[in-house]
Amino acid sequence: MRRIPVLLASAAFLVGAVHIGHAADDIVIGVPVGLSGANSVVAPSVVQAAELAVDEVNAAGGVLGRKLRLEVADDGSGAAGAQKAYDALIFQKKVDALISMETSAARNAGLPIVSRGKVPFIYTSFYEGRSCNKYMYINAWVPDQQVAPMVDFFMKEKGAKTFFLIGSDYAFGRGMLEFTRAYVEKAGGKVLGEEYNPMDATDWTAVISKVRATNPDALLISTAGGAPNVTLTKQLRTAGITAHYGNLGLDEGTAKSMGADAQGTYLAGSYYTSLDTDANKKFLAAMKQKFGDKLETPNDLSAPEYEAVHAYAKALAKAGTTQTDKVIEALATVSVEGPRGTIIMNKQRHAPLTMYLGQVQPDGSVKIMSEFKNVDPGPQCPNLG
Amino acid sequence: MLENTETVTRPKARASGETWRALAPAIAIALVGAAVIGIGPYVLDSYSLSVLTRSLLYAAVALTVDLLWGYMGILTFGQSAFFAAGAYAAGLIFSHVGFSPATAPLALVGGVVVALVLAGIVGWLAFWHGATNLYASVITLVLPIVCTQLIFSGGNFTGSSSGLSGFESFDLSMEAWFWLSGSFLTAITAMAWLLVNSDAGRVLVAIRENEQRCQYLGIDTPRVKTLIFLLCAVIGAIAGYIFAGYAMVVSPELAGFVFGTELVIWTALGGRATLIGPVLGTLLVDYESAQLSGDYPFVWKLIIGSAFVLVIVAFPRGLLPLVSGAASRIGRHVLPGGTGERAVSVPRLLALPVSDAQGTEAGSGPALKVSGVRKSFGSLTVLDGIDFRAHAGELVSLVGPNGAGKTTLMRCIADGTERTSGEVVVNGHDLGRATPERCVALGVGRKFQTANVFDTLTVAECLRLARSRHERPSLWRRRDVLHLPEASLHVVRVTGLASRLGEEARLLSHGLKQALELAMVLALEPRVVLLDEPTAGLTKAERTQIGSILTDIVRTRGLCVLLVEHDLGFVREISSRVIVLHQGRILLDGSVDDVVSSELVASVYTGAVNLEHTA
Amino acid sequence: MVAQFLDIITTAAFLYVVSSGLLLVFGVMKIINFAHGAMLTLGGYAALLCTKAGLNPWLGLPLAALIGGLAGILVERLAVRPLYARPLDAILATWGLGIVIGQLITLYFGRGVQFAEAPLTGTVNVLGESYSIYRLSVVAVAAALGGVLTLILRGTRLGLETRAVIMNEDLARGLGINSRLVRFLTFTLGSALAGIAGMLITPISSIDPNMGVPWLVNAFMLVLVSGHSLTTLVVSCLVLGGAQVLVSAYVNPILGGLTIAVLAAIILRIRPEGFARA
Repeated sequence: MRRIPVLLASAAFLVGAVHIGHAADDIVIGVPVGLSGANSVVAPSVVQAAELAVDEVNAAGGVLGRKLRLEVADDGSGAAGAQKAYDALIFQKKVDALISMETSAARNAGLPIVSRGKVPFIYTSFYEGRSCNKYMYINAWVPDQQVAPMVDFFMKEKGAKTFFLIGSDYAFGRGMLEFTRAYVEKAGGKVLGEEYNPMDATDWTAVISKVRATNPDALLISTAGGAPNVTLTKQLRTAGITAHYGNLGLDEGTAKSMGADAQGTYLAGSYYTSLDTDANKKFLAAMKQKFGDKLETPNDLSAPEYEAVHAYAKALAKAGTTQTDKVIEALATVSVEGPRGTIIMNKQRHAPLTMYLGQVQPDGSVKIMSEFKNVDPGPQCPNLG
Repeated sequence: MLENTETVTRPKARASGETWRALAPAIAIALVGAAVIGIGPYVLDSYSLSVLTRSLLYAAVALTVDLLWGYMGILTFGQSAFFAAGAYAAGLIFSHVGFSPATAPLALVGGVVVALVLAGIVGWLAFWHGATNLYASVITLVLPIVCTQLIFSGGNFTGSSSGLSGFESFDLSMEAWFWLSGSFLTAITAMAWLLVNSDAGRVLVAIRENEQRCQYLGIDTPRVKTLIFLLCAVIGAIAGYIFAGYAMVVSPELAGFVFGTELVIWTALGGRATLIGPVLGTLLVDYESAQLSGDYPFVWKLIIGSAFVLVIVAFPRGLLPLVSGAASRIGRHVLPGGTGERAVSVPRLLALPVSDAQGTEAGSGPALKVSGVRKSFGSLTVLDGIDFRAHAGELVSLVGPNGAGKTTLMRCIADGTERTSGEVVVNGHDLGRATPERCVALGVGRKFQTANVFDTLTVAECLRLARSRHERPSLWRRRDVLHLPEASLHVVRVTGLASRLGEEARLLSHGLKQALELAMVLALEPRVVLLDEPTAGLTKAERTQIGSILTDIVRTRGLCVLLVEHDLGFVREISSRVIVLHQGRILLDGSVDDVVSSELVASVYTGAVNLEHTA
Repeated sequence: MVAQFLDIITTAAFLYVVSSGLLLVFGVMKIINFAHGAMLTLGGYAALLCTKAGLNPWLGLPLAALIGGLAGILVERLAVRPLYARPLDAILATWGLGIVIGQLITLYFGRGVQFAEAPLTGTVNVLGESYSIYRLSVVAVAAALGGVLTLILRGTRLGLETRAVIMNEDLARGLGINSRLVRFLTFTLGSALAGIAGMLITPISSIDPNMGVPWLVNAFMLVLVSGHSLTTLVVSCLVLGGAQVLVSAYVNPILGGLTIAVLAAIILRIRPEGFARA
């Protein structure tokens, strides 16, 4: 038993030996992200976007006279992994802020740790809405901004009357579809079924049987980003389901990786690589230049990440400090000109966004069908003004 | 710390000696644990503190894996489910009802109850007479899978894949959580230490070593296993409850198979059946995982996986015994608890006062009545309508050529589940389909063909196990005194086992092992004793000794002994009656002289007779 | 209802393919190979290699068998053979090697989810229902595998020796059968089958370092209720796989995922020999 302290001491030594720190005065941004699990298909592009933004800020002389640096941690796309990742980033790596796209499961698990560690957190993924925390800002869309364009399009342009909803069984999937069901029913449509599979499930046989049995006009999908999207889409295609297919959780890069299976899928979001703006072209060129062959297709998750890093840098400059309270205050006021246009997170911690309805083309690119300017996120966090 | 191995104890000091010897190491564990835990927050940074708080709770669960697998031989992959039961009880109640001084204890009780129900179901599925260890393991593997899926299917109620977060919980500081978790672990470890080193702890090891022998000593092993499983479930649930209160997030991974197997890995690395090993293994591996897996996620897991395989293949006892073994070789203090270094105290043997004898009361009629017993394996009939009676004070020998069905008959008498049909009545009690432990309770004692004792237990421990049906083993100490019934004591004294009480049974000669098993069977205070070749492989002198012991106990104690024997000379010397078995039927049932003079028997032994023609 | 019937048949086929290798190993060695999940994963990555090299996806079949078989040889030598006398430890060691294989895959291929090209795509009309050609083709593959295995076991000397070892290893050894060789070959064959199964499940699954694990427990339970017979395994797959499809369809898909494990556990409690003849 005398050995316990010895073992602990040697463990501590081992740890100390391994972690030879970087330059001590860097401003460190933690990026907890799903490098494994469901999000692993989209996460690498998010990390690349963050790296580009950090490079750009540093090339312009850094901020507050210091350099930005990233610490990336894998959260396994789930709650358990997120707890470890947030713990490590906040308390071990002692990051100054967290900026990341994650599953809602991971975000919810991480938030108590954020509260305990008191660091600013910019969440850069579209999500089910109404997640509020004193330290958190969100610069991506919520259902209030996304669902309407797609459902309206199906009902008005395609004459769809019956819908079938399929989701991953977690906060995002359920929250999104709850909103969608209400919206569809309010618009006079009929929901024939609403089915969920666990986030890591890959076999959709049973769900597809039900779709086949009910034969809806349109499918609306809200799975975790990445793997579940791909397995579901592929299996729907091999099952010969031909209903209109709208995917609320599919990003452009994942669509591309599916090849022919994704063709004809409708998407709604705030960013596509085909956006014809100078800011987007500049962003894409810079990504291409920095990563070359290794470039992961930028998408509706990586563009907000890129913008969020810039927003954080601007907030730091404005606050004149890394002190959390001051930075939180500043984040609501800074505006960023990014690939998605001008983004200000001034609506109850969320941002008004220009939304697009797109359709996946045979070559995997997304053709923008219509545009909706400055869609308001609606009342998300009334208590956080 | 257990140097106190003196054999002579002063009667008056005995009780306090027992108490002190049992409690000293547990108190030492508690003190050292408390000291380390107390200092922790002052020397550790906040990240280490938060990681270790979690590791301390995991270690408590790993401890239950050690109790079940290390000590009792049940490889369990399902302890994560109990941890999750406690955690989810807190998460669900705090999320949906709210956190208050009233709901907090309610959630704890709820978690424990759910864990107990789960453990009860698993116990029913996994532990029954005839279930193999592999089967039990697979059932424990199904448990976390089922629990995870149930959590997934709970929709918004359980949070499905997201788990639950954002609920309120105890408002404690980081340090307080660390102290709470540490104290819990220390207390559990100290109590587990008491248990495994007590007389009851020997029962657990005995089940691991030789479950069949335990059952034939009247120990209801499925019940013991289930009880320990229930106990471990409670520990897991409490740990999970503390975890949920601390982390304020519960997720399906807590119930998962991956966590369940990690617990096994930590236990194996630390050293199974050492208690301290699994605790240290968990703390070290989980802590280092948190420190290193961020930077070296794959390599770290690869190292752990490789180390695990290496330990299982080459160092099955784990790393703690290796470390402490190396330490003791260079002359340092040894950790108590490596199975090999168990300090042994030898109890004093005392005769059981006749008034305390609790053998089944003699019923009316024959001691043993066998009627119409049949045993078949598929289409092959091994026993075909066996009928005979034997009385108290009789020594009946069962003879016959190989394959006649002698051992099968023994088994069919001592284990009701073995018979295809027929009836066995002992002292007027119909054994029916009773399992071996029930048969023992009704007065049947069985000695196996090859000496069947507990190799790693001492002679005294083996004997005490045989008494455990009558004298419930202490849950926290080693008794200084061992009461044996006269017959058993007689065997122990006459054969010289009395002077070797502290030795492990595997070190005994073949003859002494046979004698020990006989003494164990007699310690059960049976009315009917089944002895399968008790003299096989013994020297002439040993054989004579066993023979005189047998005739003596039959005469003086009024036992009924049924003996399978090949040596017809020996049979003639000691038997009061002989039954000849041939091709699954009774060929002859008569006095020694009848049998010896029978030409039929002689021809059976020379193989000249086929029963089909004579019967 | 045609679609549901086809779902049952095809689900049973997948289950059969995934568990037949495990059953062979269990029959001969009386242990459960926990590295089976890792072997499935290796098969999945074999399919990925084919896709990356632009080869015909069916070529993944022999490649997966080869890779699975090689891994089986390693596992048998490193973990199973030395632990002949300690079956529970052998199980743990196979699990440990499974972790090692998984991490090696991760080091080489990354931890992300990837996808391989399906050997067949599209649908075919069966009695008025359009149904996935690929799922139907797996039924044919499963039947072919079952046929080949039965031929090996019934028609070759090795098969005879294997059956002898399954029935009574001590006796078989006494008759001069090299049971060590039989064990080795069985384990290799079982692992090769696992590789094939891993390749076959990629179109209904994703490829990631843990892809085999979800299949593992169902395969264990199917093997336990089937005893040592490939024929009984067909029955188990149809009955339990069918139950899974029905529960998924009429109750919910998540509980459907539990059906096999829970039913098998209860069946074994009530009837320890499972679906095997007593």
